[in-house]
Amino acid sequence: MMSRVRELREAKGWSQGQLAEQLEVSRQTINAIETGKYDPSLPLAFRIARLFHKSIETIFDPGE
Amino acid sequence: MRAEQRPLLKNCFFSSLAYLATTWICVWLLRHGLADAPIVVRALVGMLPTVPIVFAIRAVVKLVLAGDELQRRIDLEAFAIASVALGLGCLTASLLIVADVIVISGRQALLWVFPIQWIAYGFAKIWATNRYQ
Repeated sequence: MMSRVRELREAKGWSQGQLAEQLEVSRQTINAIETGKYDPSLPLAFRIARLFHKSIETIFDPGE
Repeated sequence: MRAEQRPLLKNCFFSSLAYLATTWICVWLLRHGLADAPIVVRALVGMLPTVPIVFAIRAVVKLVLAGDELQRRIDLEAFAIASVALGLGCLTASLLIVADVIVISGRQALLWVFPIQWIAYGFAKIWATNRYQ
């Protein structure tokens, strides 16, 4: 699944570690989400959306 | 790995080390010093390695529960792969024993089941972790 997490994180000037700390997950998880290798659970997707003040659909694109 | 998981990982390592040391000491004692001891004493000494291994299992469970969702998934995949690999390894070995190709004593085989599962888990975890990097 494609996501805009990296773009939004960089716009805020946060490192992967800083974002991971705010979401209470590991840096590895943030990296896997940004590279599209891991699809977050619904609760984590909601936490990400709330943190960036966006809707889930504007951050994550399931593609075809 | 998150900061709160590091002490738990250290616990896992030292518990596993204690298991290996206790096993070695118990086997040595049972073969040399306690060969003629009463069965109750031999049973108690023989079962001593289960104490550190219970601590190791407790430490691993705490480590897995302290992980986030991706880390738990990686651990689940690693445990599943390690279990299947161990089962397949045991089946292969038993078939080779039946075919009189190899000879493994039952006591040696049983003693190695748990360490082999740990080792398989370690390799499987490296593989599973790399999948998400």
